[in-house]
Amino acid sequence: MTKFDYKNMWVYIEHDGTTISTVSLELLCEARKLCDVTGDKLVAVAVDGLPEAELAKIRATGIDQMMVVHGTGYERYNNDAYTNLFTVLCQKYNPSAVFVGGTTNGRDFAPRFAARLNTGCTSDAIEVVYNPESGDIEFIEPAVGGKMMAVITVPVLRPQVGTIRPGTFKYEPVGEKAEIEVIHETVDFDPALIRTKLLKFIPEEDDGAVNLAAEEVVVCLGNGLSGSDKLGKYQELADLLGGKLGCTRPVFDRGILPFKQMIGQSGVVVKPKLLVSFGVSGAINHTAGMKDAGTIIAVNSDPDAAIFGVADYGIVGDMDTVCDMMIEALKARQ
Amino acid sequence: MLKILVCVKQVPDVNLVKIDPVTGSLIRDGVPAIMNPLDGSALEAAVRIKETYGGEITAITMGPDNAAAVLRECISVGASQAILCSDYAFKDADTLSTSYVIGKAAKMFGEYDLIICGKETLDGATGQMGSQLAERFGATMVSSTSLIMEVNEEMGTVIAERELEGGVEVLEAQMPALFTVEKTNYQPRIPNFKGWKFARTAPITKLTADTIEGLDRNKIGAPGSGTIVPRTYPPEKAEGGMILDEGSVEKNVAKVMEILADKGLV
Repeated sequence: MTKFDYKNMWVYIEHDGTTISTVSLELLCEARKLCDVTGDKLVAVAVDGLPEAELAKIRATGIDQMMVVHGTGYERYNNDAYTNLFTVLCQKYNPSAVFVGGTTNGRDFAPRFAARLNTGCTSDAIEVVYNPESGDIEFIEPAVGGKMMAVITVPVLRPQVGTIRPGTFKYEPVGEKAEIEVIHETVDFDPALIRTKLLKFIPEEDDGAVNLAAEEVVVCLGNGLSGSDKLGKYQELADLLGGKLGCTRPVFDRGILPFKQMIGQSGVVVKPKLLVSFGVSGAINHTAGMKDAGTIIAVNSDPDAAIFGVADYGIVGDMDTVCDMMIEALKARQ
Repeated sequence: MLKILVCVKQVPDVNLVKIDPVTGSLIRDGVPAIMNPLDGSALEAAVRIKETYGGEITAITMGPDNAAAVLRECISVGASQAILCSDYAFKDADTLSTSYVIGKAAKMFGEYDLIICGKETLDGATGQMGSQLAERFGATMVSSTSLIMEVNEEMGTVIAERELEGGVEVLEAQMPALFTVEKTNYQPRIPNFKGWKFARTAPITKLTADTIEGLDRNKIGAPGSGTIVPRTYPPEKAEGGMILDEGSVEKNVAKVMEILADKGLV
């Protein structure tokens, strides 16, 4: 078999029995566009148990085929059963591509079934483009901390497995097709072979930590921050604006703020009404997580900083000085 | 006795890397090579397990000869064995072929109860190595581990916390198990002088494509890779908004405050 014998693009529908993970729906919409170009069928692969309203959201994306998986071992996500499931299904149907949402669980099993199938896996793409010359999908991913973009392909092997960062594509359903083929597959995985046991789940809300994704105002600190001794003034500014502090990866790496406050592609994606950014260079890994903010103000001493490209208004200047001035101005307004 | 394998990688300190604006390629000159930060957390997790339960730590890496430096870091805090897989034939390997080589090389020195990796690297950041190594070792997979709470050697189980989008899972995993760790609870320690001095001259086992037993040449380096990188380019600079130029920083700040007030944001 050559790569051209592999047909159709699959999207793994991640769900908890009640709701579909948003990234799966986003992926269906993007994969629809690819299939329109390649002529492949768009197939949604979901473990059975979704309510009708959720299934309707899948159909609305214009899928050609719905594969419903039955069997034991899938009630709770686990690496063992899901790795086996996609290995078995891919061996039977030979899809050209399998897209998996880049959630923690998606990234947990996608590379493993790719390795088991001995095929290529790419991760965290922010763009997917079909190259008609090679017949390959080009997965475009930020690399080296977002300082460059890398085009990654699976040139020989199939399926092309890729995880896609949540929030990258939009859920813009093109409408349900008149005919959708429904396939039922039963792949039993012996629950005794599942090597992890869930002892407890602690929902995030319980720990009282900052949930930046829900904030309306965010003050974001970049590597221009000289040290944690300066954190106080930015906290004060955030308080005055009624918001919370966020940061970029270097600030997290320096141990100044926790991971939950790291904004970007591999951290939190924020969409506040106002984001004020201090000392942030503007690498794409970071901007991917904040570019959809309503109003973005950027402060940086380097007039060529990339952050000014995504900002609505920029101030070139020393971040600490500007912060002090803003605090003063806000206090004066009160 | 617990056998622990720690997988580490030497990476360029990307915070210091510059990109050639024309060719889009990396300018690595003068950029220090460091241990991938999350691999430091993996090492820390391994050392803490050894301190609590006893055991033996083996560290492994693949890279050029000077990647031995990251293995010496591992030795300086308690790894007793270090394996460097280094061969021109491993060049341009993706995670599929790298995991194959690491798996084959590590297995020459026995089996492992626990395999610990960083969640992802600073440079490639695919986060795929852990999952693919778990496949090579036939191990239970636990990704995004924030804490390894308890190791029960007799029962062959490990209790660990795993960070998910909506909360934290507490899992009991059967050994052999592979964990990819988050930085959350594993700030790497600084080696003491004695450890550092010892590591400087400690032996490192170097393996090549010829000396790794049973290596299939078709599965290593570029030929063994599932993915390729046909090209790279600098990220497009966004159009951007307005850089305020009111004459002074004070006036620019005043202008911003005015704009925010107009928008009802302050």
